[in-house]
Amino acid sequence: MLARLATKRLLEIRQAFRQAPQASRSLSTALNYHVDTPDNKPDLPWEFSDTNKNKVKEILSHYPSNYKQSAVIPLLDLAQQQHGGWLPVSAMNAVAKVIEVAPIRVYEVATFYSMFNRSKVGKYHLLVCGTTPCMIRGSRDIEDALLKHLGVKRNEVTKDGLFSVGEMECMGCCVNAPMITVADYSSGSEGYTYNYYEDVTPKRVVEIVEALRRGEKPPRGTQNPNRINCGPAGGNATLLGEPKPPPCRDLDAC
Amino acid sequence: MGLGLLASRALRSTRAFSPLNPRNVRTIVSTPELQKPEAAAAVAQPEADLPKRTPVAGARVHLPNPEDAIEVFVDGYPVKIPKGMTVLQACELAGVDIPRFCYHNRLSIAGNCRMCLVEVEKSPKPVASCAMPALPGMKIKTDTPLAKKAREGVMEFLLMNHPLDCPICDQGGECDLQDQSMAFGSDRGRFTEMKRSVVDKNLGPLVKTVMTRCIQCTRCVRFATEVAGVQDLGMLGRGSGEEIGTYVEKLMTSELSGNVIDICPVGALTSKPFAFKARNWELKGTETIDVTDAVGSNIRIDSRGPEVMRILPRLNEDINEEWISDKTRFCYDGLKRQRLNDPMIRGADGRFKAVSWRDALAVVAEAMHQVKPEEIVGVAGKLSDAESMMSLKDFLNRMGSNNVWCEGNGVHTNADLRSSYLLNSSISGLENADVFLLVGTQPRVEAAMVNARIQKAVRATHAKVGYVGPASEFNYDHQHLGTGPETLKEIAEGRHPFCSALKNAKNPAIIVGAGIFERNDKDAVFSVVEAIAKQGNVIRPDWNGFNVLLLNAAQAASLDLGLVPESDNSIESAKVVYLMGADDVNLETLPNDAFVVYQGHHGDRGVYRANVILPAAAFSEKEGTYENTEGCAQQTLPAVPTVGDARDDWKIIRALSEVAGARLPYDTLGAIRSRMRIVAPNLLHMDEREPATFSASLKPECNEKMSTSPFGTAVENFYMTDAITRASKIMAQCSALLSKQ
Amino acid sequence: MAAVVKGVLKSVRERGVLGFFRELRDEGYLNCLADGNLLQTKIHNIGATVVGVDKFGNKYYEKLGDTQYGRHRWVEYASKGRYNASQVPAEWHGWLHFITDRTGDELRLLRPNKYGLDHKENFSGEGDEYIYHSKGHSLNPGQRDWTRYQPWQPTKT
Repeated sequence: MLARLATKRLLEIRQAFRQAPQASRSLSTALNYHVDTPDNKPDLPWEFSDTNKNKVKEILSHYPSNYKQSAVIPLLDLAQQQHGGWLPVSAMNAVAKVIEVAPIRVYEVATFYSMFNRSKVGKYHLLVCGTTPCMIRGSRDIEDALLKHLGVKRNEVTKDGLFSVGEMECMGCCVNAPMITVADYSSGSEGYTYNYYEDVTPKRVVEIVEALRRGEKPPRGTQNPNRINCGPAGGNATLLGEPKPPPCRDLDAC
Repeated sequence: MGLGLLASRALRSTRAFSPLNPRNVRTIVSTPELQKPEAAAAVAQPEADLPKRTPVAGARVHLPNPEDAIEVFVDGYPVKIPKGMTVLQACELAGVDIPRFCYHNRLSIAGNCRMCLVEVEKSPKPVASCAMPALPGMKIKTDTPLAKKAREGVMEFLLMNHPLDCPICDQGGECDLQDQSMAFGSDRGRFTEMKRSVVDKNLGPLVKTVMTRCIQCTRCVRFATEVAGVQDLGMLGRGSGEEIGTYVEKLMTSELSGNVIDICPVGALTSKPFAFKARNWELKGTETIDVTDAVGSNIRIDSRGPEVMRILPRLNEDINEEWISDKTRFCYDGLKRQRLNDPMIRGADGRFKAVSWRDALAVVAEAMHQVKPEEIVGVAGKLSDAESMMSLKDFLNRMGSNNVWCEGNGVHTNADLRSSYLLNSSISGLENADVFLLVGTQPRVEAAMVNARIQKAVRATHAKVGYVGPASEFNYDHQHLGTGPETLKEIAEGRHPFCSALKNAKNPAIIVGAGIFERNDKDAVFSVVEAIAKQGNVIRPDWNGFNVLLLNAAQAASLDLGLVPESDNSIESAKVVYLMGADDVNLETLPNDAFVVYQGHHGDRGVYRANVILPAAAFSEKEGTYENTEGCAQQTLPAVPTVGDARDDWKIIRALSEVAGARLPYDTLGAIRSRMRIVAPNLLHMDEREPATFSASLKPECNEKMSTSPFGTAVENFYMTDAITRASKIMAQCSALLSKQ
Repeated sequence: MAAVVKGVLKSVRERGVLGFFRELRDEGYLNCLADGNLLQTKIHNIGATVVGVDKFGNKYYEKLGDTQYGRHRWVEYASKGRYNASQVPAEWHGWLHFITDRTGDELRLLRPNKYGLDHKENFSGEGDEYIYHSKGHSLNPGQRDWTRYQPWQPTKT
């Protein structure tokens, strides 16, 4: 009796004091500072390809010539597509040279956005949405299924260099939660796609991965056969007629 | 026992009711009315007749246009401010010091620390006063419960990830975070999770980083970008993972990098040489000036006992604002090394032997009497003060020689017109210039504070900078026009594209480096520069843009005092050379049998040829007048006692004059100064800039031809220019790591 | 009083006279004669409950009822000759100073295994290692090589 009471009290205390030691969760794939590796060094040459040079010109034409630095995000994105999904230091330096700012200003932007990968990713970078609606609908299971199927950890690349799995914050598809995104860097910036796969299940994501491995392009959008885009399963149940005009405004009179 | 029992019972009975007592409810706000700020604010506070308050730190306001003034009310007290001022500045004028971390009045506004939140009437939320422009009739409240609670909350957030290592932190005692958490913070925090930790960065041999302490105020990032002009630092990452860094491993290669130590409000960036050496409350501050370059930056020497522990900048809007260069800040360990502490005589075997002052002076006096008067030569060093140069000149004149000069002034020096060797626009005046022409000068290494002004002008008004001289590093946009006198001639004759820029400029400034003084065709170069000045309308009654940037602290005063050699080749025919701290004078042409006296504080280049060494005091140990490159006389004050048997320079010369039988008529510093009043009265007007009265146009025509040899670099190594900096270990480390090869 | 005498007699009967005296010494009763503080503690201990014993052997007592509020928790140190407050480990400190009602035994379980260090008493002032000599003190190791300045050596020429 006493022992039970004591253990109960103990448990209570532990509950009260328990702190799940939570390391700060970083969504970025790399550290906030650069570490030299053989494939990521400032002295490696890096340049935009010839076709991309035209694209750079096109992107720069969107901005006034004295505000070239506004083009930093589109240019980094282009460089990332060209370099197989990630940005080495030399690519950021190349962007800095194009927009005529100090390299640190480009590093600041590249480290800020988690969509810029500063370490190697797979040709298909799979991003699992981890925000609340998707999490409630089982995004953790989906991530686990992916990681188990591919045999990697988060932000790790498979041995064949094809896949990597990352987490992302809300991508605005909560109605079709849970969802993953596949960033396809397998064919450079020309064939680059960034597709949403919604309503996925642990089984379905594995199928998608296998289809991608075979080089197929699985249909994007909702994976639930009963749904059309974000409509309810089995067709619309409400709002079937023509929408009525607002009741107290006569639009013709205005 | 009975009483104790009663007392304990009484206490316990109150304890039994304690849950009902609101005082026992643990809340973050210790003052009960702060728990409900809205309710407390609702209670109308009577408009009290407030006593007049004085502005914070003597903040002044200049209203250029009285119509533009607006009136705001700070805590009910009306204050008139010009349009465009921020709420924080208005509060400062009203005498209310708003707590802040990220706001710095010399840097751009970031508004990211949120410490300066104040309440503004009719504003639903507290506003960040540093970023909010004051509007007419604004009613600002700085000590309402809402503002206090907002500060308390911000403080709690800032302390969340701040390590509790004040006892081992070098900033302890002068830490903004420490002070403000005492003044505005809460006595407890509610944060129980793990604190964040950040990898320390290597910023070089001067700045120590403990990045975990960083509160992301971004002052250092803004300083590096805006004032130092090196875009090395940045804010990396986002959210709680945000950190200051360089991303790639890179040392901070600015000559002003030490200032980030001062502007860092916490202990994230501290001084590496000063690390764990002393606490700031143990130090005695002496307000003095710097002599390592010709700018004369205002500094405070912090000493503990007989040791100089560190050097900090002092505010002087006209000279160094509140920055100083790294050389100024970190040369102090040179004051402790290689010091001359005993008079010494070189014996017959070529070795030095320590002797008494009496013997040393007797030997010098005898040597002086054995030669013809005109064979005595005196050279004042870079670090000499005006008093000692005055006494040296007087002494040698009494001995019959007039061959006395100051090193760095070159041959056939012209000391007649002050305007031909001063920075006539004044250092702060350079901010108004819109076109700069730098002739043979690299201000970044010659005078870092002047360079900071040019950088400021370039940044603020996009001023154009043209540079004639050898290829060199600049931290602002510039055009490299050419390397030598031919380019100057082209500009003078109007054949150079830069001429149009000069002509169209409103306030053009030409800066000539003092390195040109050493050239043989110096007069020709100057006459060409003057021709350019005439063309560009550089010298006008309201603007004098003809500037000479001097290299050494002693130069301006020595020229004012007329330390000009009588003959051009005095060294070749010298029999007795009196070096007063002169280390960089070229003694190769000196005859072998010449007798050399070295009077100085460091065993540097000068002593190796010396026959007699007389130990003197360094600038931190004596009272002396120095004139900076813009003609402002300033004074050093002794911070620490002299070492060993060393004496003040002027005292040594005064004693020697007595031994040599040519007694100087002054025994006190005051007496020397009254003598100086006759020669150069401007040296007695302390902290006042005395502009040159006559312009350089009075100069006689020069018919010399310019040689075609390109201009040289006057300062090879920024970190090692004089005896003190050459003795310093920190400076040696800096020049090994940071100087560009 | 009778209970005390009865207890003493019982102890003598169980352990013999020598054993009884050894226990007296170990429990610090003999020190009590010279150390009034310890005697006071011993007198306090009569009728109090032992709440816990920490790993150093310090005993924590509590006596509610007719004790003055604020004096109802105390510690009897394991070391009877040389004791000081820093011998109380952190987990018991809170209980002893009325910061918490949780006893040290309960709080000990919460200590993180990874980096929690064992409690060590404060040895300040005992032995060279634990004495701080300020800079300038002749026993400060830095003092021997500290010089105000380093003179220039003429022999180097």
